Amino acid sequence: MNYLDLSAEAFLLVPLATIIIYNICPKKLSEKYFYVFAAAVAIIQIIASVSMFYLMNVLHMREHNFIFLKVLGKSGMGSLCITYFSPVFLFCIGLVSFASVMIAMHTIDAKKTHYVNLLMTLITGMNGMILVKDLFSLYVFLEIVGLSSFVMIAMFQSKKGLEGSVKYLVMSEFASIFILTALALIFMQTGSLSYDAVGSFLLDGAASSQKMMIYFSVILLISAFAIKTGAVPFHSWLPDAHQSADTAISVLLSGIVIKIAGVYSLIVLTRLFSGIEAVHVTLATIGILSIVTGALLAAKQNHFKRIIAYSSVSQMGYILLGLSTGTTLGLIGSVAHVFSHAVFKTTLFTNAGALHEHFESLDINEMGGLQSRMPVTAFSSIIAFLSTAGIPPFTGFWSKLLIVMALWTSGNPVMAGAALTASIFTSAYFLRLQKKVFFGPLPDRLSEVKEVTGSIKFIEILLTAVTITVGVLFPMILVYLQNAGTI
Amino acid sequence: METIIFISLLFLLVFCIMAVMSHSLLKSAIYLGFASATLGIIMYVLGAKWAAVIEVSVCSGLVTVIFISAISLSSMKKDQIQRHYNDKKRMAYLPITLIVAGVILVVVALTTDFTVTGSAVGIAEDFREVLWNERQIDVLGQIVAILVGGIAVDVLFRSGQFK
Repeated sequence: MNYLDLSAEAFLLVPLATIIIYNICPKKLSEKYFYVFAAAVAIIQIIASVSMFYLMNVLHMREHNFIFLKVLGKSGMGSLCITYFSPVFLFCIGLVSFASVMIAMHTIDAKKTHYVNLLMTLITGMNGMILVKDLFSLYVFLEIVGLSSFVMIAMFQSKKGLEGSVKYLVMSEFASIFILTALALIFMQTGSLSYDAVGSFLLDGAASSQKMMIYFSVILLISAFAIKTGAVPFHSWLPDAHQSADTAISVLLSGIVIKIAGVYSLIVLTRLFSGIEAVHVTLATIGILSIVTGALLAAKQNHFKRIIAYSSVSQMGYILLGLSTGTTLGLIGSVAHVFSHAVFKTTLFTNAGALHEHFESLDINEMGGLQSRMPVTAFSSIIAFLSTAGIPPFTGFWSKLLIVMALWTSGNPVMAGAALTASIFTSAYFLRLQKKVFFGPLPDRLSEVKEVTGSIKFIEILLTAVTITVGVLFPMILVYLQNAGTI
Repeated sequence: METIIFISLLFLLVFCIMAVMSHSLLKSAIYLGFASATLGIIMYVLGAKWAAVIEVSVCSGLVTVIFISAISLSSMKKDQIQRHYNDKKRMAYLPITLIVAGVILVVVALTTDFTVTGSAVGIAEDFREVLWNERQIDVLGQIVAILVGGIAVDVLFRSGQFK
């Protein structure tokens, strides 16, 4: 077995093995050191994804197929695949999970065992979605991600958490019904749900009834994955779920779950049905609606987490716009924005965790002038805001630039202009947030506020360093990938 | 055979409406079990025997047991749960919506050619062959999904009330 296969197998085996090992350990030990187990899995995931990214580029591979658990027999537990952009998603899963564990050390006092178990099943679900090459398997792992998320939102027994969870559950059930119906219709036409079979199904020679069923299936799939992404007009569940959950959970939902459950599924869809023009038009329309509506709604909010939740709706719009072009440049731009968004949104939710230590309600009207009291939190928040707004040289600038370039070169200058103009909205609501929270005079009642310490401070510094470093090195990474023949 | 299907479809519709409209949480769970069992009969008559067996054993049997266990495990007193549930407003127009949706589906079904075409014809393989040799990764996924369900019952229903 080569190193590539070993790394690929680790993505499913490590979280599953951790569930077993963690639950065998004595209760006292597992409760006290819950973060060690969870952080170890996240770190292994980060190392495996980085090494896989490096090896695939060195070996000039755009795709790597492997048999999962080949030791069990010739066909093992099934055939899986890693594409050239998969390591980016896998890395983001590791990074955001690590941040969640660091925040959980501060915010979670009870149910640590359940948190670790659910985090492991969530990671298994997300990794499974990235590795499978069959639409039904994608659905199975998508359900694991959904189930783990519902429970994580409601697990701390707050009525708000339960309400947020139920909203997400109800919307997700609609998504599940849409997906299953669509898969049944596609299966009737193609006889298989593997990516290869569906991708090679030619619409040109198909009868009109077959075409109608495929188009209908695609509409259902886009609606389902847009619900999971939290894109407009299917966004109603997202702010409630993100606001009501513990910050360690919100960071997972906004940082990675909506990207894997929604965006990654849409990437699969656009690759399989690239010949249907309506897919691109629909994604572009949903994308631009999400950017503008998300930004306008974010500008009206006063709750710190609600603002960044609506910001996620808006930023998902950029990713959908990139995908709507159907070009390699658009895909790379979208994947780059997935990475950028994962980093800066995780930073902002970590800031929320830091502020929550002093402000129970997280109402931005109760804050002000905190820059002098919480310099690290303020600095990391400003860097994250600059990256979100697409200011150079941070990661958000490069990913948005790639998306705008893809729109322009694919003959959509109006969309490119709209995407650029919408960045002004992003700046507007984030400038309001920064001004109300960190700038202005410090009220006397806040003179006792102190900077957060420990793991939250560490993760703020780490994520800010990632935003700056990757932003500065981004052009070099692109040139390296181009020279390696990956893009 | 068509008579059995149409009678079963009618029962399925009635059980589904009863499950949604019932004012007793326990009765809702039981009606849902009946609905799954009826669906199993339809699947069996249509020739999907393995799917029918799984529908009856898992959806009608196991899931109903899990629902009833979850209601029993809840720390809230049963009459409290019932009171909460009774207080919820019912969608009075739900049956009408369902009937209209059903009529639309029937019209679509009668006007569309749903014949299995292309390579989908002749793919009926042995169920065990498909499950253990072709879809092992889905089996693994479903085991994890069941695990999450178990954790959910433990974390949400066993300890304390919602604040």
